[in-house]
Amino acid sequence: MSTIQARDVTKSYGKIKAIDHLSFDIEENKITGLIGRNGAGKTTLLKMIAGYIRPTSGELMVHSRNPFNSLEVSAKTIFIDDNMTFSNSLTLKDILTEVSHFYTDWNSDLASGLFDYFSLNPKQPHSNLSKGTKSTFNNILGLASRCPLTIFDEPTTGMDSAVRKDFYKALLKDYIEYPRTIILSSHLLNELEEILEDILLINQGTKRLHLPAIELREFAVGIRGNTQVVLNLVEGKEILYREEFSKGSLYVVLKKELLRDQFEQVKQSNLEVVPVSTDDLCVYLTAKTNGGIEDVFKRS
Amino acid sequence: MILNNKSMKPIYVQIAEWLEVEILNDHIKEEERIFSQYQLADMFTINPSTAAKGLNILADENIVYKKRGLGMFVSPNAKHYILSKRRNQILGQMIEALVMEAKRLDVRESELIRMIQQARAESEEK
Repeated sequence: MSTIQARDVTKSYGKIKAIDHLSFDIEENKITGLIGRNGAGKTTLLKMIAGYIRPTSGELMVHSRNPFNSLEVSAKTIFIDDNMTFSNSLTLKDILTEVSHFYTDWNSDLASGLFDYFSLNPKQPHSNLSKGTKSTFNNILGLASRCPLTIFDEPTTGMDSAVRKDFYKALLKDYIEYPRTIILSSHLLNELEEILEDILLINQGTKRLHLPAIELREFAVGIRGNTQVVLNLVEGKEILYREEFSKGSLYVVLKKELLRDQFEQVKQSNLEVVPVSTDDLCVYLTAKTNGGIEDVFKRS
Repeated sequence: MILNNKSMKPIYVQIAEWLEVEILNDHIKEEERIFSQYQLADMFTINPSTAAKGLNILADENIVYKKRGLGMFVSPNAKHYILSKRRNQILGQMIEALVMEAKRLDVRESELIRMIQQARAESEEK
């Protein structure tokens, strides 16, 4: 069953299309990573799913309903980002108590366990928190709500790397115990890819890829070696990225399946085959030119 | 074990290989229950579907088998099977790579054999 169904969803701001005819399904009880560069449309998409804003056109269904202005959808959905604001007259402890009334699956043991573990001060107001601590607190709300659809928009903003790791661990542990549909958006894939089941990569409001995380890791390979030998090998194939290292030496990235019949040839011809990290791959797949930043400096 | 996410080897293959080593070292014995996908997911902080894929590799090779409602168990003869598989496949691949590299470096056959014998002798001493 799908928790989210999007068909040709478009969101325009004036002449600019933040989301452009996007279609996808997100299945129930999967952890999906929404990956894209700055300005790709991640937040716009997530806000539509959460029912905060309305698509300009297309059909978006969440829990089989139109999420915009829907109480039923919002009771089953939580949207966590770093713009959440709370009244200054509430302490962090007050917020936990108040938020708990809104979500039927709220787990107060989990909330207080994480609260203590991350050494938050119960008497502090929310607005006084540092960037990283604010993210930590908001994420505790997201986890403890145990909402059937839990959305984290750039959840680790400002967190140090130890807290990030702890957060992802906590998320995975609680997900194992209590499976639900979770979406995590990020422009950094490598720190969270192991816990993802699926990856949805968007670029300029359109879908670039939607596939199991396992498959993304095997999607592409890098080939490095003598320029002429490399060029012979990849002739007529789509190159995702190319970089000249030194004179006569070339590095290219291409889809693995394009080389399927030629692995023996690669082995024999003194070329180096290197794995492409999913982070790099996502950058290549969303780049405007296939030479990257190097192209800017080559105009001599 | 720490998973190497820069390796050419997918995580689920690394999981399957780790479990094979656990069986080879008698940490999990034949006819004993093996970790569930959720235990593995928790231990290695990976998605349960990735862990399941690792277990499925072992199930496809009959190294583990499913008992309805009870989980996955190590097959009788699993250890023997893993040993012979590793001898044939893994050693075979390594030797193939070794021979190719030797050719590239102009190392003659007799020389290569001498190097192997020397490496063996050194490992005996340890």
